[in-house]
Amino acid sequence: MDYIITTEQLTKKYKSFVAVNNVSLNIRKGSIYGFLGPNGAGKSTTMKMLLGLTAPTKGSFTIDGKQFPNDRLSILKEVGSFIESPSFYANLTGKENLDIIRRILGLPKSSVADALEIVGLSEFGGRLAKKYSLGMKQRLGLAGALLGRPPILILDEPTNGLDPSGIHEIRNLIKSLPDLYDCTVLISSHMLSEIELMVDDIGILNHGRLLFEGSLDELRQNALQSGFAADNLEDMFLSMVDKDNASRKQRVKL
Amino acid sequence: MKIFAIELRKEKRTSVIPLMLAIGILGAAYAFVNFIVRKDTLLNLPLAPMDVLLTQLYGMVMVLNMFGIIVAACIIYNIEFKGSAIKKMYMLPMSVPVMYFCKFLILTIMLLVVIAFQNLALTKIGLTDLPQGAFEFGTLLCFAGYSFITSMPVLSFMIFVSSRFENMWVPLGIGVAGFLSGMALAASNNTFLCIHPFVVMLKPAVAMSAQPDIIVVIFSLVETAIFLFAGLWSAKNLHYE
Repeated sequence: MDYIITTEQLTKKYKSFVAVNNVSLNIRKGSIYGFLGPNGAGKSTTMKMLLGLTAPTKGSFTIDGKQFPNDRLSILKEVGSFIESPSFYANLTGKENLDIIRRILGLPKSSVADALEIVGLSEFGGRLAKKYSLGMKQRLGLAGALLGRPPILILDEPTNGLDPSGIHEIRNLIKSLPDLYDCTVLISSHMLSEIELMVDDIGILNHGRLLFEGSLDELRQNALQSGFAADNLEDMFLSMVDKDNASRKQRVKL
Repeated sequence: MKIFAIELRKEKRTSVIPLMLAIGILGAAYAFVNFIVRKDTLLNLPLAPMDVLLTQLYGMVMVLNMFGIIVAACIIYNIEFKGSAIKKMYMLPMSVPVMYFCKFLILTIMLLVVIAFQNLALTKIGLTDLPQGAFEFGTLLCFAGYSFITSMPVLSFMIFVSSRFENMWVPLGIGVAGFLSGMALAASNNTFLCIHPFVVMLKPAVAMSAQPDIIVVIFSLVETAIFLFAGLWSAKNLHYE
């Protein structure tokens, strides 16, 4: 199998708290990988490690055959990212914000208009970013990630703050990306119904541990074998997380 | 060079550059007005005319420069924290320490412009208002260099502090506290107090001679380098999470 992102026993500890515990991910090239987990499960921390925003306590990972910190610049050239909340210069317009990123990436001027067009912000490009609504800031953050059409996208809850039509639009956009320019997407979201419609593979994280990794069909089979409801992703996810939480409580009692 | 140009673009609508230009113009105007109003009093002081020109006007000019540096340093990093833009910078294929160094360079160049404005005013006053033959251009250049070098520790320190705190009021408060404590300690002859960057900046203002103090110059250069390297090291190793 051709994996573009692999992690090996990735672990992140903050003093005695283990945010990510021996997580080994395998993300196929050209796939959309949904990264699921309750709040505080370690999704964002894992994504931050992949982007070099925080160093792993233990373990390693490779992105397109390259490793941090030696290949930091060449990895970041290939990865478009959006982590937690949009990042922007409040004193600059949407267009100027993207132009800063474009210059750093060494892309042609036309890439800014292209990114604004993709996220539906073309007519608001000249407005100051601080005057954007939450949804527009979210779109600007996405445009920053999509700038130059990078081969890998790491998106942490990209539909937060968007209205239903915005969510629908962004979902369709993300779904179309692998076919549009052979891109691999790692996406986390709390909106399980959205993820179900979008992804090829899934990783479920709870309390820093990877509970499941595989395709939606494999998850369904796994749920049926374990006697869980397998009607939709939400039921399977909740059953799996509840079971893990119960066994954790049991272990703590013992 | 590419990162420097990008940093300059980021300063759009931040008032950093207009603020520093205004400080330069205000300092120059203060020197003019002060000398016109107090010309006789100043020239009757028991000091050489060049010492009067350079040291007696420098106090207020230095306070203006100090507040300009404090505010500009706070703004130059606040834009990075305001919309979490710095987080994006760490996720892009660029060196964040180089970005830090470019911010340092922008403020250093602006400080040079400020000092140039103020010294142009002093040159004009020296040529027209000092007794015939008393104006020495070399002494003025030497003092301008001295005031620039002694201002650099505060600039270096303030950028370092601003880069470490997301809340702009923290570095601003540290700057004001530095100014007040510096004012209280500057007149002391204790050389050890020169480890305080604000004391170093105030030294030329409390001196009665325009001759640079070599100990103060050494302290200035060492402190500037220490704070600069501390800032570069933190930008490289203490990531924004």
